[in-house]
Amino acid sequence: MTRDELKEYIAGHLEGKLKPLDSGKFNPLFEVIESDLLTVAQVLRDDENLKFDFLSCISGIDTGERFEIIYSLTSLAKNHRLELKVVLSRENPEVESVQGIWPAANWYEREIWELYGFDIKNHGNLTRFLLADDWDQGYPLRKDWDAPDFVRFPELER
Amino acid sequence: MSKLRTEEFTVNMGPHHPSTHGVCRLILTMDGEKVVKIEPVIGYLHRSMEKICENRTYAQCVPLMDRFEYVTAMSAEYVFVNAVEKLAEVEVPERAEYLRVIMLELNRIASHLIFYGSTAMDIGALTPFIYGLRERELIIDLFEMTCGQRLTYNYMKIGGVSHDIPKEFIPKCREAVKIISEKMSDYEGLLNENPIWLARTKNIGVLSADKAIAYGVSGPILRASGVKYDIRKNEPYSIYDRLDFNIPTRPNGDCYDRYCLRLDEIRESLKIISQALDGLPEGDTLKKVNPFNFRPPAGEIYSRIENSRGEMGVYIVSDGSTKPLRVKMRGSSYNHIQIIPELAPGGLIADLVAIFATFDVIMPEVDR
Repeated sequence: MTRDELKEYIAGHLEGKLKPLDSGKFNPLFEVIESDLLTVAQVLRDDENLKFDFLSCISGIDTGERFEIIYSLTSLAKNHRLELKVVLSRENPEVESVQGIWPAANWYEREIWELYGFDIKNHGNLTRFLLADDWDQGYPLRKDWDAPDFVRFPELER
Repeated sequence: MSKLRTEEFTVNMGPHHPSTHGVCRLILTMDGEKVVKIEPVIGYLHRSMEKICENRTYAQCVPLMDRFEYVTAMSAEYVFVNAVEKLAEVEVPERAEYLRVIMLELNRIASHLIFYGSTAMDIGALTPFIYGLRERELIIDLFEMTCGQRLTYNYMKIGGVSHDIPKEFIPKCREAVKIISEKMSDYEGLLNENPIWLARTKNIGVLSADKAIAYGVSGPILRASGVKYDIRKNEPYSIYDRLDFNIPTRPNGDCYDRYCLRLDEIRESLKIISQALDGLPEGDTLKKVNPFNFRPPAGEIYSRIENSRGEMGVYIVSDGSTKPLRVKMRGSSYNHIQIIPELAPGGLIADLVAIFATFDVIMPEVDR
């Protein structure tokens, strides 16, 4: 499938659950609401023509206004790729764990929980592993994070 | 005689144990000599590079990438530079692309030679380490000749490469290719049919293809489990679509196959380097961009390449300013270390060392 065919196929197959975001010439990018994530993920992995069996990466993003999680998916069998985006609320960021579908998600979700403070529901092993065990200075990857020894470079401010 | 009472006990392995390759710590629950449970403890090398990148210009992020994966620093630089170039639509001169591929493949060989040596050393054979590092030196000399550095190169620049190669590079490189391809039989002669080596690696740590895919295992380990997938072929970047090379695979997914596959890959990389040297065009090596006022348009991209360890990716979000809004680095070791607790239990502690060694995990990629 070419990139456009893939986009069309997914949009047709998961109508109403996905919102295509224009990503120019890069991988197809779709937005999915949090409550639909697991259903969509299941279809993406199991559908005969999609077979997104390989989770490349999960990345948390803080744009300053809102929180997002990006799932980068690859299909080794069909050789195509896709990005799924979930937008989370700033007050209560929480998302369902996708470990049941892609076991590779385990540490990626744990890292997001640790560095962004998003609550990963049904994860089962949310413990600190990158930061110090007694870390109490908040969530470092958030844009509003500040700590006494964190140096910003004002000459590089936009 | 009454039965002896047995109980499980806990052993700490690392963080400075020589066979945990850096600073990984494993908490092992043992039943005699058998491993029951493994709990990896990471984070000793956490330098918060993702946060640092958000506070730097794009050009300033490149040297940081060297520290993300210092054994194949070229590919770590390349993955970032390539993603930024795609995002900002920077045209890269042809000669620079060829030079990049030559450097990437040389670096892949250097990494596999370290793998060859260190794996053998972990399992108890010391000679291969000397052999592997001896030939790696030829490659490191080539890097030093080109950009002045032996480990953290800062060679890739947004828009090209920092230095053109000196005129003695090509003959030296061809000589190195010749020497390494001749030495391949030595490497294989030392280990391939060595009964101790076979006993330690054959049918040890068997990883099935389905499990490998589910856990996001990539690169040589995935191919040693019989999955023919290589980003250089399946989603060609740079000039890989113009080069003729094979993707070696092995069917069994045990430690022995993982070892053999890397030697196969060295051969393919040598082929690529020869072809790239033959086709190397004349011309510029750098399209100048102003590093202080370089502003890619707003957008986001996940870009990835085939590193010597597997899929190396970077997720960059740009908001149109001089600094990235978010840089997420994806190193393959991060996934590989996750699957070790699934593979090793039930085996001996000595097998765990063999598994850990053939996974070729390096820690800066895990902790970042």
